[in-house]
Amino acid sequence: MADAEEFDFGDNVDTATFEQILDMDDADEDDAHEFSKSIVFGFLDQADSTFAKMETSKYVRPDKSIHVVRTLIHYVLRKDKDLKELSSLGHFLKGSSATLGFTKVKDECEKIQHYGQKKDETGATDEPDEEKCLRLIGQSIAKAKTAYDEVKRLMEQYYAKLEGNA
Amino acid sequence: MDMAGQNSNNSSDFVRKLYKMLEDPSYSSVVRWGDDGDSFVVLENEKFTKHILPKHFKHSNFASFVRQLNKYDFHKVRQNNEDGQQSQYGPNAWEFKHPEFKANSKDTLDNIRRKAPAPRKQGQAQDGDLPIQQIDLMNQQMVAQAQQIQLLEASNHELRANHQTMVQELVRLHRTVLNHDKVMQDVMKYLNSVDAQQRRNSKALFPNTQENAAGTNLTPTSQNIGAADDEIPASPLQHAQQLMQEYNVDSQLNFTGFDPNYPQQGNGMRRGPGSAHSSVSVGYSKLNDGQLEQMVYPTGGNNGIDPMYSEHLPNIPYPMPGKEIDATELRTKYAETRKKSNYNDPGWIRNPRILLVEDDPTCRQIGAKFLHSFSCTIDTALDGLEAVNKIQEGAKYDMILMDIIMPNLDGVSACHIVRQFDRTPIVAMTSNIRQDDIQMYFQHGMDDVLPKPFTRKSLLDMLEKHLIGLKKLPAGMEPPPPHGVNPSMTTHSSGPSIRDDMSAAASPAGSTGTWNSPSQYSGVSPVAPGMPMQYPTYMDNNTAAYHQQQTSPMNPNRGMPPAPMPPQGITQQLMRGPSDMLPQDMKPAKRQRVSGTYGGPPMTARQQ
Repeated sequence: MADAEEFDFGDNVDTATFEQILDMDDADEDDAHEFSKSIVFGFLDQADSTFAKMETSKYVRPDKSIHVVRTLIHYVLRKDKDLKELSSLGHFLKGSSATLGFTKVKDECEKIQHYGQKKDETGATDEPDEEKCLRLIGQSIAKAKTAYDEVKRLMEQYYAKLEGNA
Repeated sequence: MDMAGQNSNNSSDFVRKLYKMLEDPSYSSVVRWGDDGDSFVVLENEKFTKHILPKHFKHSNFASFVRQLNKYDFHKVRQNNEDGQQSQYGPNAWEFKHPEFKANSKDTLDNIRRKAPAPRKQGQAQDGDLPIQQIDLMNQQMVAQAQQIQLLEASNHELRANHQTMVQELVRLHRTVLNHDKVMQDVMKYLNSVDAQQRRNSKALFPNTQENAAGTNLTPTSQNIGAADDEIPASPLQHAQQLMQEYNVDSQLNFTGFDPNYPQQGNGMRRGPGSAHSSVSVGYSKLNDGQLEQMVYPTGGNNGIDPMYSEHLPNIPYPMPGKEIDATELRTKYAETRKKSNYNDPGWIRNPRILLVEDDPTCRQIGAKFLHSFSCTIDTALDGLEAVNKIQEGAKYDMILMDIIMPNLDGVSACHIVRQFDRTPIVAMTSNIRQDDIQMYFQHGMDDVLPKPFTRKSLLDMLEKHLIGLKKLPAGMEPPPPHGVNPSMTTHSSGPSIRDDMSAAASPAGSTGTWNSPSQYSGVSPVAPGMPMQYPTYMDNNTAAYHQQQTSPMNPNRGMPPAPMPPQGITQQLMRGPSDMLPQDMKPAKRQRVSGTYGGPPMTARQQ
């Protein structure tokens, strides 16, 4: 069995957690890494669509290039709902990324969850400024996507290597 | 009028007498049939009144006779002919007519009926309308009744929600009291040791007074350090009793703090259980996948989850699951036992049946894979709704792993519903593990919390903790049971008895470093599916109102019997020896007494 410790994931992946998943692969099967691979790439797809959902929420903020008044009304009505939805999406992605040990993605998703609850990044104190929360969420989404891209790259490399060895 | 009684017996009695009288030809100069035979004429008013009326009608009152005729709908034939002629029968003749009253037509006499007295003004013409009016009236009544039924149903729902809330509150209070009991036991134990010490040194030392809660941490030799704050020096045991009373006062306060309006307050999470319950009652129509997708995350995270009355709750100590610790543990574990076969069979007497409720596919697959590697039989549900459906349809599990934040129905609400009819251990799987979150999980009937992200080890530990009844003993690898294990208790195999076994085996002091899981307290809880004998007794002690609640059509099997809330007296009894230490066969008796003396249901009944 290829050891995840031999592969350098940097601080993107918590190796111990990820190895638990790898350990669930049945080495006797033809496709030795089918289980972990399907989980990992299933997650990556899921994360991709979740980010897309987050983005649509984020863009509800007023944009001068479109009809300002209409957007503002829409925006005021939707802002609170958007924050909640962003929080939910953050929570959702946090759970699966944490289970796989994708630490950096998880950390940003946790922040998104907290901002969406109108709290600071630790979730400890309230942050009543919705505009600020939305802005912070925007930043965290960007960071989470960067971390996600990195994990995706690493995972693709890792499985290519595994299968190359096999 | 004096004939009324007779006539009521036979409505045509008067008419027959009248007919008979007219048949007598000897009267023809006084009273006779009219010329056309469709009326009769009284020719000689005076003679008729004096001689004939008394013979046939036992009175001599012409006016009365006329009234009687009118009652039978006879009408006087008017004499004011247009040509001004007098009546053909003479100026003083009275001619009376009835459509059915004819000479030589005895058969039609039966058709002559006394008129209904009241609606004199309404003629016969209205008779045809009456049924329609009545139908209208009945329709209106039915509509009104239907509305009333709806109102009653609504109030019934409300009452049921209130009832559930009360049950919850009682369970929570039960836990509170038990926690207090534990603290008091500790205090007592410590005080006893202090007392012994003190007696030995009694000549040298003043009576010391450091027995507050923090005092338990003091060593006996530092007795006097905390004494400054206490105004009255008392012997330690007296002081301990005072402490107990304070605790009991606290419980009382909790009690009065009950808010019967609580289900109406707030929104979100709190309303969740109630509304969810009403959907249960209509059978939880299953949603198809399309609907599921539309309803992503209606629960809105844990935003609405506000643990109520947390100030009354005992502090449930729990360790924040340090990820670093987990990681290091794992590393060492893996270093030692790299082969997964070590995990493969934890030594069950049969494969535990686990329901995994999780909306996130990644977590669900990994969780299922881990469980599979522990030789568990796994069933999955994608959300709380599906889980409740499965359990309602009768699927039996040894344990339920329940995510908290899920679409359609969150884990806490699902647990709350399941707890109305099922006591399978439910473990919350969540990353929301703030203290108030956890208290809320316990309040709604969860047994334990598995922090996310879970590891294989944390998952296995949780299984072994709650499925101890399914373990082979002695097991090949020693399980790390968080509580003390009484081996004689762990050999049962039947599913429902697991909880009892567990609680019996759980040592009250054994919860070092783990959650204060409520499963420890289930020893005093009346919820014991494995002990059918106990239930009827429980019922007998309760009020009729509670029976109604129990037999309400929505909950045909059984409601969740509320946990008894021990009053002060009982509390002290409990304190002497925790129920866990009692022999197994004594516990039902104890429960009966508790529920009989001061069970939840009388309270609930009062609420209604």
